Amino acid sequence: MEPVAPNGETPDADQDEPAAEATVLRMLLGAQLRRLREGAGISAEKAGYEIRASRSKISRMETGRVGFKLRDIQDLLTLYGVLDEKEQAKVIALAGRSREPEWWTRYNDVLPDWFESYLGLESAARSIRSFETQFVPGLFQTEDYARAVTRLGHQIAPESEIERRVGLRLKRQELLSRARPPRIWVVMDEAVLRRPIGGAAVMRAQLVRLAAVAELPGMRMQVVPFARGGHAAASGSFSILRFEEPDLPDVVYMEQLTSAVYLDQRADVEHYLEVVDQLSSEALTPAATALFIEQVIKET
Amino acid sequence: MTSDEAPGADDGARKVGPLPFDVTKAHQARSYDYLLGGKDNYAADRAAVDEQIKIVPNLVFTMRQNRAFLGRAVRYLAGEAGIRQFLDLGTGIPTAGNLHEVAQAIAPDSRVVYVDYDPVVLAHARALLDSSEAGATEYIDADVRDTGTILSRAADLLDFTKPVAITLLSILHAIPEADDAHAIVATLLDAVPSGSYLAISIFGPELLPAETGEALLDNTRRTSLQQYTARPREQVLRLFDGTDLVEPGLVPVEEWRQDPGAGGEEKSFLWCAVGLKR
Repeated sequence: MEPVAPNGETPDADQDEPAAEATVLRMLLGAQLRRLREGAGISAEKAGYEIRASRSKISRMETGRVGFKLRDIQDLLTLYGVLDEKEQAKVIALAGRSREPEWWTRYNDVLPDWFESYLGLESAARSIRSFETQFVPGLFQTEDYARAVTRLGHQIAPESEIERRVGLRLKRQELLSRARPPRIWVVMDEAVLRRPIGGAAVMRAQLVRLAAVAELPGMRMQVVPFARGGHAAASGSFSILRFEEPDLPDVVYMEQLTSAVYLDQRADVEHYLEVVDQLSSEALTPAATALFIEQVIKET
Repeated sequence: MTSDEAPGADDGARKVGPLPFDVTKAHQARSYDYLLGGKDNYAADRAAVDEQIKIVPNLVFTMRQNRAFLGRAVRYLAGEAGIRQFLDLGTGIPTAGNLHEVAQAIAPDSRVVYVDYDPVVLAHARALLDSSEAGATEYIDADVRDTGTILSRAADLLDFTKPVAITLLSILHAIPEADDAHAIVATLLDAVPSGSYLAISIFGPELLPAETGEALLDNTRRTSLQQYTARPREQVLRLFDGTDLVEPGLVPVEEWRQDPGAGGEEKSFLWCAVGLKR
């Protein structure tokens, strides 16, 4: 296995990050084009002919491996029966990287671009597998815990900005109560449960929330106790997102202080899959984790 | 559940330890995941499968038919045969149509114990399989050869005074001659009452030209964590000693109670049968 630095950085982490982000958007756009094409019952050959290209070009577009020309997208949408100008504009806007407004655009003042992309992926994912080393995952945080974490990162920010950031985080949690939420499988280092962010009372309430969230359908939590699992010490936090469309590659997401890293090349993704596979076999089972969290609550 | 706890260090009686996590060699469960269109596999798994498909082009068909056999056999067992308890050995990585889903779709109160010797595979099973409210699933970290551990832990969920279906699908060819697959199956069958069932699918060397079968086994010796043993048809039949085979007996997986009109030209190379314990 390739070494993964303790901060989770990979060799290509600090170069070309906007390109990686664009890849993710291309994938989503490609998947949308494929759905529209298949919905219209049109073969890839026919679609290729329409834009003076080959079947394989269509396939590369639909899997996000090549960029899009706006004119090609317009022609394809017309062929697929998407004639409404507004509908066309939506897709074209995605292609131009200025995305159709989502709920989080209301938080633009506190939302960096790199995190906006993640919110798009998170809401599109069918399953999310993550490893957390320090903090309770954002999706499971209580308001008080989220406020304490946010203050850590923005010590001189005015109160109003802190509240905006906390609001964004809580809004994001609506994902969990969606009709068809993604399957979420989180492995956490014991440190996540032990570090009393916001003080003992806040932490205790957070742990109680964590225990409740663990009971949601499709949710699995596993803790790696300090006593086990060298990998837990060697790796930083990351998430692997998987999408419904079999053609879309898994995407690894890692947050850094001022940016994020997206990896979607299979060879890169597999290093993280390997780490999280190893961790989930070393960690306590979900049933044992529930007992473990109960025990930590008693001790907090 | 106590069986959910990791095996302790005092578990010295285990004949075989857990499989070490190694992604540099092909793994049976991950290769099967790849063949079924999953993404929980690694480069070495895909490379080995791609080589094997060159040797036996019907590999994809065979493994998909094995999965389809699981579906038909479990529907038969939970339906016509009225079975409510299942012991599945060599569970593998969850995909569409997992055993408890098939069984609980027919009988929601079905109880299913999954056994696998690979802790990573079992972690996937625990994470991805949801039991129905009325039924239950349990997971046991154990090697198929460790029948003592399997039977004692399975007793937490299954009532061994009532019929149990034991399923060993595409797993027994990974048991070498020295480990006596016949004795393993006999021990499991001894633990369940009359009226229980045994379902097996297993490599059928007679279903491939001899040199092709040899080439396939050679390839897996080179590329894979699991080593495969070819057992002739009469040895496979002997695994069912003490049972009566339900119709149509021992046949290739795609022929067992196939849905009407579903048959095609392609042939698999796995035998299968379902036996009713006398």
